[in-house]
Amino acid sequence: MDFEFFNETELEQMHRATVEILTKIGISTLSDRLKGLLLDNGCKEQGGRILFTEEVIEKALKTVPSNFNLYGRNGCELVIEMGKQKAYAQTCVGAPSVIDLETEEKRDATLKDLEDFAKLADALENIHLISPVFPRDVPQEIIVTSETAATLRYSSKPQRICAESSHELPYIIEVLAAAAGGMEALRQRPIAYIEVSTISPLNSGFHPAEALIDIVEAGIPLGIVPCPMMGATGPVTLAGCVAQHNAEILSSVVASQLLKPGAPVVMSPRVTFMDMKTGLGLWAMPEQGLAAAASAQLAKYYNIPSTVTGYSGAAKVADIQSGYEHLYNALLPALIGTDIIAAAGSLDNCLISCYAMLVIDDELSSVIRHTIAGCEVSEDTLAIDVIEEIVKTNEAFLGHKHTRKHLRAGAFWKPPIGDRSTYDSWAVNKMKLEDKARQKAKELLATHEVVPLSPEADAEIDEILKKALKESTNN
Amino acid sequence: MSQELLKNVLEAVVDGDVEAVTEFTEKAVAAGVKPLEILNEGLVKGIEVVGERFAEGDYFLPDLILGAKAMDAGISVIEPLLTSEKRDFLGKVMIGTVEGDLHDIGKNIVIMMLKSNGFEVFDLGVDVPSKVFVDKVKELKPQIVGISALLTTTVNKQKEIIELLQEEGLRDQVKVIIGGAPINQAWADKIGADGYGEDALSAVALCKNLLGIK
Ligand code: B1M
Repeated sequence: MDFEFFNETELEQMHRATVEILTKIGISTLSDRLKGLLLDNGCKEQGGRILFTEEVIEKALKTVPSNFNLYGRNGCELVIEMGKQKAYAQTCVGAPSVIDLETEEKRDATLKDLEDFAKLADALENIHLISPVFPRDVPQEIIVTSETAATLRYSSKPQRICAESSHELPYIIEVLAAAAGGMEALRQRPIAYIEVSTISPLNSGFHPAEALIDIVEAGIPLGIVPCPMMGATGPVTLAGCVAQHNAEILSSVVASQLLKPGAPVVMSPRVTFMDMKTGLGLWAMPEQGLAAAASAQLAKYYNIPSTVTGYSGAAKVADIQSGYEHLYNALLPALIGTDIIAAAGSLDNCLISCYAMLVIDDELSSVIRHTIAGCEVSEDTLAIDVIEEIVKTNEAFLGHKHTRKHLRAGAFWKPPIGDRSTYDSWAVNKMKLEDKARQKAKELLATHEVVPLSPEADAEIDEILKKALKESTNN
Repeated sequence: MSQELLKNVLEAVVDGDVEAVTEFTEKAVAAGVKPLEILNEGLVKGIEVVGERFAEGDYFLPDLILGAKAMDAGISVIEPLLTSEKRDFLGKVMIGTVEGDLHDIGKNIVIMMLKSNGFEVFDLGVDVPSKVFVDKVKELKPQIVGISALLTTTVNKQKEIIELLQEEGLRDQVKVIIGGAPINQAWADKIGADGYGEDALSAVALCKNLLGIK
């Protein structure tokens, strides 16, 4: 399957614009380590900004790995093959609120929600990576460490972690190493990638820059996830905002390679936009999906693995709107080609996580991956001899072995929860998709068993959490 | 002649045209129109039209910002002449994003809306330590302090700032308003803030309300 957002000339224009932005406007940072790294390698400082050169950019782009793998911890067979554009689904990070599964009302996210979302995602076949909701009832000084630990306990699937600042990183990495069986094992078979958010327009700040360096030095795959808003922190035009954003991300990609050639990195474009009446940040369709598709094509152009946000929209409940928004925003970049599609289970522009929506996104992920698997064209699938045989014998395809064989091989997509029954059998319960999703979430939460961490790893993680809390509240 | 020039100033503000506002304001000054008249009948009336159009749905946020910029340009022409006649602000507001938090898009929109509604606003920026909030209250003596926080990990700083204001005996002298994506009324009540703004428009209404402006 081959789709493109930009044609060849436009793609080249987008790249040239990116280079022009990096060489003329450059980036700013408050981190002396990042600044030193870039200047030592041929970038120049001018008026407080760091300007890249074409040579530096090209040199760095040559060493970026085009693919690498992510793994689950013990008990997980899943291997995430980054770079193969398989559109894996990842849960939404950072939602401060959830929709309660029983009351269906919005409320603050708690640690129990984090655990339940991780467990539900662990159970759902088409959700592949876990990123946490932000619980309000854990010590906020070590929140990301606590989240990482809790996620590891309630799911064996690989994780995506957002570094909020640089201070927690050593603990986060220790926790991951404990679960992976040591630091070396973690490097060999990373069970997470860690993302930093630089600030639009073109500012790497202090914490994002420091965290970037620490992550690369620790040998963990790095993700770069700034989040410009069209018309607010980036141009209102899609091409302009995507170009600026691409430059922001590439600046960090370049830094990672200068620090450690060959270090695994992920481009995570997140172009959002603003409601020009209220100022609300929107992750809705169509702009979000179009910009994600455009950005994904750029990552593909550089042969660098990418993630986008696709399972997102402005709807406040799991309903028809959230369904079409998520499908639109996820399918578009998936068709262009991207590795991970984020924000499964989200509502309200990624501010709410919803159990029912996660089950619905599992359904969407299933059909999206089915779609991009494409269609095999071969003698067997063209089936001319079968057509001939049926026509000549006056039989039906229904009774042919070719039909049975391909049906068993998955010729037709099977909706995990979508309804396809006859009217009368549907009319017995008259269940809407949202109701079925809630029911399935409840069932899975009641029955699914997560493969536990080894007792040693579990105990070690407890110690790390204690130490982290003690050290973080002391100073 | 002077009526015509005032109309030009007004229209240029409505258009958000900085150059034209500067030009017509200078012409009006040269023609002997009183600075206070230029301010009230030209610049302020202009921004009021912008506000009305926004409320009616014809104008959007960029129109507001450009209108405010244009008005500011006119004000900087007449400001030196307004020595005895002090500009009338609706009130003095100071706003910042708390320590550990780098989100400023929402805060900036709130500031812009307050300005275009006639408030004098001081921006403390992002990642502002609680102590700086308190020091600035002492220094600038605002009527309202606005505290923005976008992360569940940083909302506690809003509480901390209110407590610090209390400790320093300043809490009675300022109204405290809070805002940001994770903020709700329950949190505002819990930490003893005087109000919370769900978006920029409600933040403006809140400020007016707190200062008893209709
Ligand atoms: C004083 O009186 C008042 C009154 C009203 C006030 C007010 C003050 N302040 C605001 N208001 C109100 O009026 C405004 C106008 O209507 C409104 O302001 P808002 O700020 O709500 O609305 C703005 C106009 C538009 N909205 C925004 O600007 C925020 C949008 C989202 C997408 C967002 C952005 C853009 C960014 N981010 Co960040 N970011 C998210 C946001 C998700 C979302 N959908 O909101 C959120 C807030 N971020 C989050 C996170 C986790 C993070 N972010 C981070 C970084 C960034 C960027 C730098 C990439 C960028 C900020 C750029 C900037 N210059 O501000 C990191 C932290 C950095 C740090 N230490 O601060 C990082 C840790 C990393 C990450 N990407 O996950 C999440 C918070 C999770 C939580 N529970 O706390 C988040 C909800 C996204 C998510 N789902 O993960 C009202 O709240």
